[in-house]
Amino acid sequence: MAKGVRIAGVWKVFPPNVVALKDISVEIRPGEFFVILGPSGSGKTTLLRIIAGLEIPTRGSVAIGDREVVNVEKGVFVEPRDRNVGMVFQNWALYPHMTAYDNIAFPLRLKRMPEEEIKKRVTEVAEALGIAELLDRKPGHMSGGQQQRVAVARALVKQPDVLLLDEPFSNLDARIRVTAREFVKELQKKLGITTILVTHDQADAFAVGDRIMVLRRGETQQIGVPEELYSSPANVFIANFIGDPPTNIYKLPTSHRLVKSLGIPQGVEEGYGELYIGIRPDEAAALKPGDEGHLEGRVVLVEYVGSRRYAKVDVGDGVSLKVLLECDANTGDPVRVRVQKVHVFAPSGERLATLTY
Amino acid sequence: MRRALRSGRPGLIGSPFKILVLNVVAWAVGVLWITPFIGIFMTSIRPFREVVLHGWWSPVPFTPTLKNYVDALFNPMFSLSRGIINSFIIAVPSTLIPVGIAALTAYGFARFSLPVKRYLFVTILFLMAVPQQMMIIPIFFLLKDLHLLNTYLGLILVHSSWGIPWITFFLKNYFSLLPVELEEAARVDGATDFQVFRKVVLPLALPGLISASVLQFAWVWNDFFFALMLIFDPDKMVVTQMLPRLKGQYQVDWGLLSSGSVIAMLAPLLIYALFNRYYMRGFRGWAMKG
Amino acid sequence: MTSLRMSPTRISFFIPALILILVFVVYPIIATILLSLNINPIPGTEIVEGAPGLENYVKVVSDKRFLNPKGVEQASFPMGAIVHNVIWIAIHLPLTLVVGILFAVFLQYVKGGSIIRSFIFLGMVIPMIVGGLLIQFSFDKDLGVVNLLLKASGLGFLAKTWTIYPDTALFSLILGSVWLWSGFTVTMYSAGLSSLPREVIEAAIVDGADFKTILFKIIIPMLKPVTLTVVAMTILWDLKIFDIVYASTQGGPGGASNVLALLMYEYFARLGDYAMSATVATILTLVVIPVVLLWIRSIMRGGEG
Repeated sequence: MAKGVRIAGVWKVFPPNVVALKDISVEIRPGEFFVILGPSGSGKTTLLRIIAGLEIPTRGSVAIGDREVVNVEKGVFVEPRDRNVGMVFQNWALYPHMTAYDNIAFPLRLKRMPEEEIKKRVTEVAEALGIAELLDRKPGHMSGGQQQRVAVARALVKQPDVLLLDEPFSNLDARIRVTAREFVKELQKKLGITTILVTHDQADAFAVGDRIMVLRRGETQQIGVPEELYSSPANVFIANFIGDPPTNIYKLPTSHRLVKSLGIPQGVEEGYGELYIGIRPDEAAALKPGDEGHLEGRVVLVEYVGSRRYAKVDVGDGVSLKVLLECDANTGDPVRVRVQKVHVFAPSGERLATLTY
Repeated sequence: MRRALRSGRPGLIGSPFKILVLNVVAWAVGVLWITPFIGIFMTSIRPFREVVLHGWWSPVPFTPTLKNYVDALFNPMFSLSRGIINSFIIAVPSTLIPVGIAALTAYGFARFSLPVKRYLFVTILFLMAVPQQMMIIPIFFLLKDLHLLNTYLGLILVHSSWGIPWITFFLKNYFSLLPVELEEAARVDGATDFQVFRKVVLPLALPGLISASVLQFAWVWNDFFFALMLIFDPDKMVVTQMLPRLKGQYQVDWGLLSSGSVIAMLAPLLIYALFNRYYMRGFRGWAMKG
Repeated sequence: MTSLRMSPTRISFFIPALILILVFVVYPIIATILLSLNINPIPGTEIVEGAPGLENYVKVVSDKRFLNPKGVEQASFPMGAIVHNVIWIAIHLPLTLVVGILFAVFLQYVKGGSIIRSFIFLGMVIPMIVGGLLIQFSFDKDLGVVNLLLKASGLGFLAKTWTIYPDTALFSLILGSVWLWSGFTVTMYSAGLSSLPREVIEAAIVDGADFKTILFKIIIPMLKPVTLTVVAMTILWDLKIFDIVYASTQGGPGGASNVLALLMYEYFARLGDYAMSATVATILTLVVIPVVLLWIRSIMRGGEG
């Protein structure tokens, strides 16, 4: 039976006074694929290490299933080896002097399991991961993708309650990454094992995550399903961090022409002198000058991303927006910009409203 | 467990008690390890009679004196003050010459294509490990024929040649790690090989050059065998060579020997203390030499 | 790495080193071999006399100072220089390896561990001739820390000047050399440890390994390249050992602590027999070569491209 993970009020301060995690609380459901997403230095790996027991929080508690594995206030600490978690490290951390078989068998041997039982389990997991023919090779003689599978096999072989993945795709080539993500996602669904993955790459997060938690400088920014993070970013940081190409964000006075022409309702801007305006490139388009739209502008730059074209449009007053190019305009040509969706944020960063046109 | 919670990271060793025991034992062994140094120093600063009667560890009576040092430094037969000067006269050129020459060679190894480079490199490794004993007899006769036996120059030449292989090995590894783009930029700007070497490579490799120099100096200073074989004149002997001769025929005079020992190891200890980072980096290169 | 084509100016980078090495290293090595075969390296000179051949090798091997069958049989010193060198390796190598690994591993958990490490390293900094004197000093009946410890632990009846008795002279020097040389092993292993990926050890922790398992199953196997270098260098050092013995016992008493390098020196300086001296040197080098080759192989494999 899959177990959930409950993180409550976790703080981590590294001496002398580096606050890595600030009052993190989250409930991870049994069988869920949960992603912790954040830029480097956000504390995401520290949180994962706290769950594994490699790091001890300064305050707070973590429970796996019904059992508290650490609770600083109550003086509870369960050693990593007694938590029954499997972990895949960023560089896979395979034991270089052991064959793939010995690597995978290592956790079982430590449990003094009989050799034939070990053999059965290793073969089973190796076949499930498609690495059965690699078992007598050493890590030095494997490709990155193969090493990753061995590392996953080693983490899974002891049938852990929770699987922890620390940036498992960051050492892989772009092409293999895509396959590896699918593979991990499918495997997780098949086994139904509670999985926590840490990454700095939103593409990773969106590809595999059932839910995503975004961390920044040790603070939770938002927790939600991928769609939520994209369509209703909790604050400017999320809006900026999530989505590719990045959201156009401008801090503008409420009297600014752009604010006016977007028709932001009175109630939203009330009490603020300035606002952040966020427009996703994919939620706005540059059209022919005569078409219906909100803003006039001039194309500064045209850029191809895959099959899509984006135009950087100078709309005057020092503002230029990157938007989908949906007409034949070239650099220098006038266009009309139509906006489908605008996110409005308070000067402090949190979202006030999302307007759809 | 409580301690682990406080320290913020689970300990591998386990209980705080074990850690405490470990700390105590480690420090006890550590102190024991330098006891001979303490002993020789304590012996050197008090009258030998006092040491024989009470032991160097005895706090009373304690009559500090520099007599042993004066006796050693101005010994009528083997004056260590002369020995120190001789050691410097030998060690300074025996450091500068091989470092300069080996830097050239090492650069060649690091950057030029050479048909038999690999074999030459293995040869260098081999020469680093051959015992001094294997070459000293012919060198002795060679220097004799060149009238360089029992001269500073002869010993300097031998030390320099002996130092070249390991310094080449060490600096070649160092040069290989330098970014080649800077050199390429200089070449594109019109610099010759020697200009690239002098204006770009040497300044960049300065830490490596210092490491090699520090180690080579310590090695030459500490050497005993070459000096023993090639210098006979008491006025030209280096300090390590004089030291065992202070022993005396029948009775070991530890008063004299202790101060002599302190004097002889002062220079390498100072170098180790002052250039610690360079020393340790060079040590790994030197350690290969033995 | 780029490779620039050879040219006359580029060759000149190699010339000075080449000349010095040829004259003062390569030529002497060849000449020593010739001398050991009773051949004068430069025709017309008369360093050695006698018919060319292997006669010197026979003489050395049958010299009791080189190999003393009777001593070996009765397990009493002197057993001959080459046996003493072998004993030296047999005791010194395992001890210094264990000391090196133990200190390197455990000092990580000791407050001020780096200070203790630099204490231990002092033996590598000082002239070995001083090292030899310090060993003699430490084993002295009245002055030495060894006997002080014995007395303190109620074993005072064992107190003696260890270096002047045939039974104990060699052993005290060997123990002393562990004291001096461990700075090398501790330093090498500490450097090796710090370059081990921390994640691999953490993976073992998560996998459920305890400290002992991690030490023996993960850390020590992963340090194998370091161990290879350390073993090779230690054996080379043990074979070439000279200064320590010269300073403390001069190979005595009665040859009980004689070693190959010292025997070579005795032939040269005391007896003026250059051919025999060259023969001992050549034998010493022959013994050293397999270790050197092992060491070269490990270096060429590890990183030299």
